[in-house]
Amino acid sequence: MNREALFTIAENWFEKQKWKPFAFQTQTWTAFLQGKNGLLNAPTGSGKTYALWMPIVLNYIKKNPDYKTKHKPGLKAIWITPLRALSVEIKQAAEKVADDLETKLTVAIRSGDTSATERARQKTKMPDLLITTPESLQLLLATKDYAKMFRDCDAIVIDEWHELLGTKRGVQMELGLSRLKTIASGIRIWGISATIGNLELAQEVLLGTNSEAYKNSILIKAHINKKINVLSIIPEKMDTYPWRGHMGLHLIDEVAKIIRKSKTTLVFTNVRSACELWFQALLEKYPEFAGEMAMHHGSISKETRLWVENAIRNEELKVVVCTSSLDLGVDFAPVETIIQIGGPKGVARFLQRAGRSGHQPGKQSNIYFLATHAMELIEASALRKAVRETIVEDRMPYLHSYDVLIQYLNTLAVSDGFFPDEIFEEIKSTFCYQNFTKENWQWILNFIVNGSQSLQVYDEFKKVEIEEDGSYKINSRRIAMHHRMQIGTIVGDAVLNVKYLKGGYIGTVEEWFASKLTPGDTFTFAGKKLEFYRIKDMQVLVRKANPKKVSKTISWMGGRMSFSAQMSELLRQELYRANTEDSTPELKALKPMFDRQKKESVIPNDSQFLIETFKTREGYHAVFYPFEGRFVHEAMASLLSYRISLLFSITFSLAYNDYGFELLSDQQVDLEAVFDNNLFSTEYLHHDLQKSLNATEMARRKFRDIAVISGLVFTGMPGKPIKTKHLQSGSQLLFEVFRDYEPDNLLLQQAYIETFEHQLEEGRLIQAMERISQQEMVWKQCEKPTPFSFPIITDRLREKLSSETLAERIAKMTASYMK
Amino acid sequence: MKIEIRNNNFILHSSGAVFWKEQKILLISDVHLGKIAHFRKHGLAIPGNAIAENFNRLDEVVALQKPEKIIFLGDLFHSKINNEWNLFAYWVNKIQTEIVLVEGNHDIIEQQNYSDLNIEIHKELILDDFLLTHHPVENEWFFNFCGHVHPGIKLKDVGRQSLKLACFFHKEKQMILPAFGEFTGKYFMRPYENDKVYAIANNEVIRVF
Repeated sequence: MNREALFTIAENWFEKQKWKPFAFQTQTWTAFLQGKNGLLNAPTGSGKTYALWMPIVLNYIKKNPDYKTKHKPGLKAIWITPLRALSVEIKQAAEKVADDLETKLTVAIRSGDTSATERARQKTKMPDLLITTPESLQLLLATKDYAKMFRDCDAIVIDEWHELLGTKRGVQMELGLSRLKTIASGIRIWGISATIGNLELAQEVLLGTNSEAYKNSILIKAHINKKINVLSIIPEKMDTYPWRGHMGLHLIDEVAKIIRKSKTTLVFTNVRSACELWFQALLEKYPEFAGEMAMHHGSISKETRLWVENAIRNEELKVVVCTSSLDLGVDFAPVETIIQIGGPKGVARFLQRAGRSGHQPGKQSNIYFLATHAMELIEASALRKAVRETIVEDRMPYLHSYDVLIQYLNTLAVSDGFFPDEIFEEIKSTFCYQNFTKENWQWILNFIVNGSQSLQVYDEFKKVEIEEDGSYKINSRRIAMHHRMQIGTIVGDAVLNVKYLKGGYIGTVEEWFASKLTPGDTFTFAGKKLEFYRIKDMQVLVRKANPKKVSKTISWMGGRMSFSAQMSELLRQELYRANTEDSTPELKALKPMFDRQKKESVIPNDSQFLIETFKTREGYHAVFYPFEGRFVHEAMASLLSYRISLLFSITFSLAYNDYGFELLSDQQVDLEAVFDNNLFSTEYLHHDLQKSLNATEMARRKFRDIAVISGLVFTGMPGKPIKTKHLQSGSQLLFEVFRDYEPDNLLLQQAYIETFEHQLEEGRLIQAMERISQQEMVWKQCEKPTPFSFPIITDRLREKLSSETLAERIAKMTASYMK
Repeated sequence: MKIEIRNNNFILHSSGAVFWKEQKILLISDVHLGKIAHFRKHGLAIPGNAIAENFNRLDEVVALQKPEKIIFLGDLFHSKINNEWNLFAYWVNKIQTEIVLVEGNHDIIEQQNYSDLNIEIHKELILDDFLLTHHPVENEWFFNFCGHVHPGIKLKDVGRQSLKLACFFHKEKQMILPAFGEFTGKYFMRPYENDKVYAIANNEVIRVF
């Protein structure tokens, strides 16, 4: 069958649905049928599934002209989705096409939720299209004879590639693809991505820098522009607006008004605890919403989440309070309005959330922004500008992730074993390991075989063994089992299942929270008041609590997000406008706060760099305002405090938010000395950063994930009882042992590299320092904390830096402890 | 750091050991030998060099105090027997000093292994006014030396500064020793009015409470 005949089949099908194929869809069909690989840039709800599933089916028809009568068994295509929740939707769409065209093609899902019997069935008889997650794909690579399974696979589609890029799951995907290219020689690789700043790079990372697949590839963009309205929720009276972050609950009445006006509203919060609080607050103040209101976040049981998602689709819900768990995928036609509570920190995330409303073609998206404290209102006008000018962030991919590579090699060793020379060539073709050296490769091999670089007497280390034929293999069944249980690159805090005494699973809480509970305590979770009974077998057993009892709100650690470079730049521009007559509704609303700031200090303009100092009961505060985002401030605070500590013997405690950072000390800092010694210089920056204690603290935290991913720590299955307590150790402890006894260990070094590149964002730091060096330093000695400083100095998450000796510090602390 | 308890003199060493001057006895708790080898045997690549460090530190404190007897207050060997035991056996032969073990909850290997090295084992031990155990015990008459807890202390100061250190925790009738071993964690304790806390700060022992 020629391409024209195939296209006719597809177009007829579209016509039956009363649709017309978009240009990007036919472009993708053509490219796919030509045997090309590629990246498709298309938003959710645009018909991207049909852009790629259709040509996969057409290709099968082309290869099997008698497709209606005879079915050729075996896996033909893999569809990777980062979120299990999306797989059902994709399955339905794919099955519809397959059935309507009478192809006899089968579709199945394989994920962590798939039952053992179903998985075993799939192993003997693979479906034609397998919908799965990056982790489950790795697990397939960990099964015996996996090469046979993939041999005739024609296509792999990586959906929501932008979500994977810039994470270690992306690296895991790169490695999996490098293997598939060898064992499935005819495979076409396609990615689907939402709009990000660096789409070309996304294409290169997906296909592999030094690969044939990349040379034979194409980038297709769907030009679908949607109108997005950004509206701020501004109270009539601004004087009640809190200065620092609360939950924004003082605006609950305004929120209720918006909810009433539209069919379905999604209320997005940044963290799960805010989600619980808002749900409770709405329910208490507006009980009439009760039947039509739900909550959705990552720690609630899967059944509940699925129920909520279905209820949204069936228009049964008026409002859903949710977190990033509803950011992705799933098409919710009835959603008309989005409310974002608190700053979204990035433009891309904000756009993604806005895009959750007004899904039907031609409709507009409405997103309301609710600032939880006064300063955040500036973000609203910055975001509006970003939306207008479509400024979107880049996603920075990882380089040289030794931990993911070690996990991958163990995976291959668990299944059929691997030959190092063959695998080395494959990984060299990827983006992540394009500059990987032979020396480092040898180091990795030594590590998985000897657990060190040189064999030591008395050592009984056992993991990967070298077979007579030269292949690397894991033979111990127990070690193989441990490894399979640990495949994955998402490292969360240890979680415990929450269950009713009588049975019935509610969700998960983090171990540290559970450990603080004593029997009889009441807490609110998943919108329910629960009484803690006890912990048994890694399960938190609860019963329904007396509704009148006072309850704790559960909290989750979760990473703090930082402003992107784009967002920071926009924010500065908005702030500088506060000194001019050129105003937005948000800036006008902030006038009382700005007046107060001007009275106590100043609002800087674009040629000024503001520093405020004042004294409180807590000590001497020095607050700096670069407006560069939390991560850059963390680095700058660390650097500056280190450089000051070289001038005098002093100890600092550091705090930062997206607007600025604070150095707090028990002694007064001589800022003149800071100016005279040019402490904002970019010279020796890397060296000084490395010396600052903060870098070590951050590396310690990074090392935790690295230790889990590379298999240095055994965590067991999330939520499952651990019978291997004797193999557990704290990662803190581990970090110290490595630092003291194997400082040149590549995994330890990786912790530092990740700290500098991904956490401290050294590149951005240098740019920021250069910008500041062009500005005039404005030092304000204030009487008391200013509106700008308030959210920073009240931050409880702190780092410290000291040039005093341990004994000196202890001597001082003793004194204050004895008081 | 030198202290006096019931007219006896003790030296608190920064390694976590206690030297009893009158009796020439060295008290050491929670070494957890064999832990690293145990992890490595199960495919977890904890640095093997740390094993040697435990023995180096034992050598150092023995050379400094020249005890006539060493009493381990439990959790000497962490797990099932592995090759780290051979290193221990070698060390025992080398130092030529009488060794006694007060049994801890982690000491699960066959007693025969200890008797082969001429190491006496006791559930608890009474010397003069002093009761030596692994788990802390309250006793009306005796002063208790013990381990098990791995005590640590958190210190705070203005400017929201804080420090976490291993410590000797001295109650009215009890002294809890810090863990001697390299690859062991800490349990943070709160002192009450009559308690004394001696923290280990690098190579010094400093009273902090």
